[in-house]
Amino acid sequence: MLKYIIKRLLAGALTMVVLITVAFFMMHAMPGGPFSPSEEKNVPKEVLERIAASYGLDQPVWKQYLTYWKNLLHGDLGISYKTVGTVREKIAGHFPYSARVGGLAVVFSLLVGIPMGLIAALYRGKVADFATLALATIGISVPVFVLSLLLSYVFSSKLNWLPTYGLEGWASYILPVVCLSFNPIAYIARQTRSSMLEALEQDYIRTARAKGVSELMVVAKHALKNALTPIITYLGPLVAGLLTGSFVVESRFAIPGLGYYFVRSISDRDYTMIMGIVIFFGFFVVICNLVSDILLAIVDPRVKLANE
Amino acid sequence: MNLLEVKNLNTSFHIGVGTVQAVRGISFHVEQGESVGIVGESGSGKSVTMLSVTGLLPDYAEVRADAITFDGRDITRLNRKQLRAFHGSEIGMIFQDPMTSLNPLFTVENQLTEPLKIHRGMDKKSARARALELLKLVEIPNPEARLKQYPHELSGGLRQRVMIAMAIACAPKMIIADEPTTALDVTIQAQILELLQSLKRDSNASIIMITHDMGVIASMCTRILVMYGGTICEQGDVREIFYGAKHPYTWGLLNSIPKVHQARGEKLAPIMGTPPDMLQPPAGCPFSPRCRYCMPVCRTYMPPVTQLSGTHRVACHLMHPNAPRIGRED
Amino acid sequence: MSVQTLDHDAYAALPPEMFVIGTDDSHAEDIPRPSTTYWHDVWQRFRRDKLAIAGLVVIVVMTLLCIVMPMVSPYTYDGSDYLNMNAGPSLQHPCGTDQLGRDQFIRIMYGARISLTIGFVAAAINFAIGVVYGGLSGYLGGRVDMVMMRIVDILSSLPSLLYIVLIMLIFGSNMGSVILALCFTSWIGTARVVRSEVMYLKHSEYVLASRLAGAGTWHLLVQHLIPNAMGPIIVSTAFLIPNAIFSEAFLSFLGIGIQAPRASWGSLANAAIPVMQMYPHLMIFPVIAICLTMFSFNFIGDGLRDALDPRLKK
Repeated sequence: MLKYIIKRLLAGALTMVVLITVAFFMMHAMPGGPFSPSEEKNVPKEVLERIAASYGLDQPVWKQYLTYWKNLLHGDLGISYKTVGTVREKIAGHFPYSARVGGLAVVFSLLVGIPMGLIAALYRGKVADFATLALATIGISVPVFVLSLLLSYVFSSKLNWLPTYGLEGWASYILPVVCLSFNPIAYIARQTRSSMLEALEQDYIRTARAKGVSELMVVAKHALKNALTPIITYLGPLVAGLLTGSFVVESRFAIPGLGYYFVRSISDRDYTMIMGIVIFFGFFVVICNLVSDILLAIVDPRVKLANE
Repeated sequence: MNLLEVKNLNTSFHIGVGTVQAVRGISFHVEQGESVGIVGESGSGKSVTMLSVTGLLPDYAEVRADAITFDGRDITRLNRKQLRAFHGSEIGMIFQDPMTSLNPLFTVENQLTEPLKIHRGMDKKSARARALELLKLVEIPNPEARLKQYPHELSGGLRQRVMIAMAIACAPKMIIADEPTTALDVTIQAQILELLQSLKRDSNASIIMITHDMGVIASMCTRILVMYGGTICEQGDVREIFYGAKHPYTWGLLNSIPKVHQARGEKLAPIMGTPPDMLQPPAGCPFSPRCRYCMPVCRTYMPPVTQLSGTHRVACHLMHPNAPRIGRED
Repeated sequence: MSVQTLDHDAYAALPPEMFVIGTDDSHAEDIPRPSTTYWHDVWQRFRRDKLAIAGLVVIVVMTLLCIVMPMVSPYTYDGSDYLNMNAGPSLQHPCGTDQLGRDQFIRIMYGARISLTIGFVAAAINFAIGVVYGGLSGYLGGRVDMVMMRIVDILSSLPSLLYIVLIMLIFGSNMGSVILALCFTSWIGTARVVRSEVMYLKHSEYVLASRLAGAGTWHLLVQHLIPNAMGPIIVSTAFLIPNAIFSEAFLSFLGIGIQAPRASWGSLANAAIPVMQMYPHLMIFPVIAICLTMFSFNFIGDGLRDALDPRLKK
């Protein structure tokens, strides 16, 4: 197990190195730097050059790259070009909002998606099954920006039941969480349904029945554990994606989260901010994938073997 | 005394395009302590027969029978829960593919102690002790270590031994082995058969051996049912089937066994053609499209059963007084 | 049941001519069910899926409309009708007009051109890359496969939105860079499917037989492996199309995709947000277009998957 974890950790570290390198050089290939004369027309050229020099932007690219790594290893992501404060402070300030909404969305997706898929599989071909499939198709087909527009229009503007923006009180969490979980619920329900149906057809289910295992235990023990392994694999990307924030949902409901600030720093061409958030996202994804890999190896002992 | 008695069993599967009549009106019995072999090609209905008898078929299967009596009780009248009390305790089952028949996500101990906990109400500790005993009984070396392992860590032969240990865990009155050696290497096959035989000697349980291998039957069983197209075409004791078979299909099966003294260049005799499509089974004898001795009557009427001795019965139109006298050709 | 049985006496009385061997001219090799080819079967199953057929019809109609309508319509995507600004649906403008009096219907049709082009082109490119990459990786195996799969692991372990946004920033906001951005990582799923299918088929007997018969690597890949792995590949490609359309709509909605005055469904929806309360038609029609398309492609994908899945065949 330890060997497996170390192997996954090394793979994750390699991923981070590649990501940071690619992102760094892509940033530098970008036309129009933050202090280029074409962007800031009202500032004298000399001033811009001096500002650029103070950020180390006059150095050769490879030197900047090494400096960036040196700072990074000290936990320093640099200073935001366009807003006040360091990148680390910014991320630390905005991430909790995204994480809170996203965390709730993860829990909500699992609590709704898995039972839905299970019921659909156990009552295959019945009303519950069709309802689940219909809802799942809607969840996959309706883009999140359409859904968030629709829900905020109906529940906030028309019915005035739920607040449109901010994170004040539990009611303001409902719409963002529902919007964020809609697609994951659809995915989880579909996946649970199909892997459950597959699991129930396996020979070992027949063996369990031949041993006299009750129908409840056949489903809850023998089939479910097998059926949930694809969900565990999906958990890594899901948690990473939801916790790091969705631009659409955050801007729609005015949540000061990381997703929103990421897109804003893109339009501001705030390179250190973009780099910082990209690295943070990457790091987060790698960690989440690692955790879900380890979880999977605990549940399914065959995984370890295949990787060793 | 008859441990199992099946009367007029019909099993069909309702699938999208129609109804597959997998088993069509078969009757047989198994005595206490007897070993019965059911032999036939894939799709002949032999596995479905046993799954129907034990009530392990999926919901879309329709099982009808005049009676299925096990140990004096009509099990067609039992509800699911009562039926479950038989599974694993009175009837133990061994399946074909040990690779897929064990749950990959649970340890040997977990799966092996399951029937003990369910039927014998054992606690974890005594179930574990009994599981160790069982592993020793099926001659698995180093049983303590094996208990902690997962199925993928065991070889095919070991897994099948675990399956057997699971089947005999609660000392069942009847063991149904569905092609228990088909998926195994030849040397392992022999070991498993030997194990089954010695277990049987010690326990006086009845064994139903489902196979397509006449060799397995010859070494294991005292009585044989030959199935074709969802019907029993011939049944009798080993001697009657091997030396006095009357059904052309049984002849075909026997001729397809390699002989020790087979002359060089002499070919094995396969049965030509393919098994019938059970969505639209032939109107008459199911074997008629492939039978070398097919007569007009075979195409129209199902052959009636002719009783040749106390145990030997055959369903073939060649038994009719007007039919030509044909013997088995080698 | 069609089984015919006779009672004992009637059976005993059957005439001798019923018992003559070989008078029947049927053959043992009769095949009872008409045999059909795999693709014929697939089509038969697909045809029975009403939703998938409906989806196919919608996509075909939409494709035809978006090709033909801009040619015959009196309006263009950037032509303004200043007398009818922010007008609701009417006979003249079936989906109304926007703030600048541009005909909404024709803008949606132009949006459809963009969305469908992006969907098909991105899916085609991803299909090609995925098949070649996965096919090579699976076929060559060993160390090459290891390295190729690690690369894929690294690429796929990062959220694709990051790449997409970075590429959009570097290459500017136009259709080409949207497609480039979408092709950057979307082929990974297809490549993985192709690789595992090829791996599986590589060890199957008929490929071995063909190899023994002296077939070369390319011949094997083209003649055997790819056609047999086609089912899962088609399904994964079918789902790439709605994903690409979705991503484009999303990028344009963020304002970094297709730029005004050109119209895409995402940018139309985005532009309508501020005036959503007053002029809901500006929001409703593009949203309907997006959802309808997404539904159609997803239904087609589902239908294909069910039709291609041999396990459902009985």
